[in-house]
Amino acid sequence: MTSKTDSTSNSSRSTETAIEVSGLGFSWDPVQAPLRFPDIALKRGDHLFLHGPSGSGKSTLLSLLAGMLRPDTGSVRILDTDIHQLGAGVRDQFRADHMGVIFQQFNLVPYLSTRANVTLPCGLSELRKKRTEPTVADEAERLLAALSIPEDHWQRKVTRLSIGQQQRIAAGRALIGAPGLILADEPTSALDADNRDRFLELLLNLAHRHNTSVLFVSHDQSLARHFGNQLELRGDRT
Amino acid sequence: MKARLALTLAMASLWYRKKVLALVCLTLTLSVSLLLGIQYLRTEVKQSFTSTISGTDLIVGARSGQLNLLLYTVFHIGDATNNVRWSTYQSLKEDTRLEWLIPISLGDSYRGNRVVATDENFLQHFRYGRDLPLELAEGQWFEGVFDVVLGAGVARSLAHQVGEEIVLSHGGGRTSFSNHEDTPFTVTGILAPTGTPVDQAVYIGLDGMEAMHVGWESGVAIPGRTLTREQAEDRNFTPDAITAAFVGIERQVLTFRIQREINQFSGEPLSAILPGVALSELWRLMGQFERALLGITGFVVITSLIGLIAVLLTLQAQRAHEIAVLRATGASPALIASLYIIECVALALAACVLALVIGMAGLSLASPWLLANYGLQIALRPLTATEWALLAAVPVAAFMVALIPAFGTWRQSRRLGFGEAADQ
Repeated sequence: MTSKTDSTSNSSRSTETAIEVSGLGFSWDPVQAPLRFPDIALKRGDHLFLHGPSGSGKSTLLSLLAGMLRPDTGSVRILDTDIHQLGAGVRDQFRADHMGVIFQQFNLVPYLSTRANVTLPCGLSELRKKRTEPTVADEAERLLAALSIPEDHWQRKVTRLSIGQQQRIAAGRALIGAPGLILADEPTSALDADNRDRFLELLLNLAHRHNTSVLFVSHDQSLARHFGNQLELRGDRT
Repeated sequence: MKARLALTLAMASLWYRKKVLALVCLTLTLSVSLLLGIQYLRTEVKQSFTSTISGTDLIVGARSGQLNLLLYTVFHIGDATNNVRWSTYQSLKEDTRLEWLIPISLGDSYRGNRVVATDENFLQHFRYGRDLPLELAEGQWFEGVFDVVLGAGVARSLAHQVGEEIVLSHGGGRTSFSNHEDTPFTVTGILAPTGTPVDQAVYIGLDGMEAMHVGWESGVAIPGRTLTREQAEDRNFTPDAITAAFVGIERQVLTFRIQREINQFSGEPLSAILPGVALSELWRLMGQFERALLGITGFVVITSLIGLIAVLLTLQAQRAHEIAVLRATGASPALIASLYIIECVALALAACVLALVIGMAGLSLASPWLLANYGLQIALRPLTATEWALLAAVPVAAFMVALIPAFGTWRQSRRLGFGEAADQ
């Protein structure tokens, strides 16, 4: 199930590319023509803003990039690894080692405390655990402090926190152990304007510090100004 | 590392859903206690039953089947087919290979309890349970012709004290219309509880039995011919016959030979039985019932496990988001499925431990009460291999039923896309 040798070799190499996608096509229904995705090339540490109308395949693209769906055509290289050449178990481990995730909502495991939610990836990946300094708990607390989560919330049940706080905790979870790439699926859509800008600022600053690339999906065009790279999905079918 | 994470997650999840799961765990605990309790009592009751009489090597009576002889001599159920002549009893007594004999003469009753006419050998040699002797709780063993010793059950239910006078009835029925009113007996002693049929009988001397039947030759008292107590004191009563005798053999290797010899006794037709063999045969007849009881309890446990699965499947709907998070964070479908298995087995283990505690506490509280009121000796003892196996079967069964939601989740989470919550 795990492939430590494989993942470790990937990380020790200081890779230059975060995402490299070419000729990607996928269809949910074999009768329909497949969705075509534009080619993407994102340098390590750069951020990409992905927008498009609903139904344009944003979530499908994220699933393909995360290795949770297999493409019909084309290849996905994350940190110089063709993830769809890997077996299912190795792909899961690759995701644990190298990707952080933030969803639109319901980001947290309800029965874990704030801190346990942040440290969750370190339980799944030895690699990310090793990258925390000096300990997992210290790094989690540093991230929580940086994301302005008050200290008395750290041991508390996450279900009592506000949506804004929950999203910031999810960002902490994505950032811990400095993964190469963060996939963020409309993480700000449930937030008001103030919270949204603050969230984005914190996320991008911290990601920059860890040399982590962020792929940010949103339909909110106004956020695009924070990103150096932009891509629009149109949901092309051929 | 992953196993530790799975364990941490499962425990946190159990704690998070503690209110619902505590109820399920309680149901399971009760049914496991029931299962364990019945198996435990089954062994104890069997033990107590098969040692209703111990230390006695042979029971000798008139020719009949071994169950019949056992039932009327030991359990006071049914009647003797015939008697054993006094001369036969005397010749057995002269046999040096027999260490002791307890003569038993039956036929009368006291308010539904058997009257057993015997002698001091009964107190001296009768053993029950794990070779326990009879003890007098109060007073002393009978000496005079009209002395009677009560079994513990008789004394308790009829609230008799030492020194009281009681009138025995003629015949073995529960209600008898002919009473030995001319010859009342004085209670001289009360036996300590034994938890055996000994408690439900009254004991008089063989001479007492003879004395109260003088003038009763036709089956009813003929006025003027019965004895008064004063008249009886001076006379010597030797019975014509006894009903049966318990025999202790000095060298037990000879048991089978002596049994054969008695069975072939030329003076009159006799039967000698091994009480242990007869008791196990009797238990086999009744054992069907307690096996059925155990089977039913097994089904109770299965029912509560199914209840547990029903609850887990209901909770599964609530866990869709959490599974989506774990999956996207890199948890494998196997890890997610294992959460269900760990949770289910942990609940079953908790139920087993609780059941053990409840059983132990219940037993240590109830056993003095049972002994005092029913003479039932149910001691706290280490569990037998069968009981451990039965207990271990519970988490194993829990593991198997947990495979149902585990497999469902495993299949679902394999097909899950990024950030997708499985819909039910």
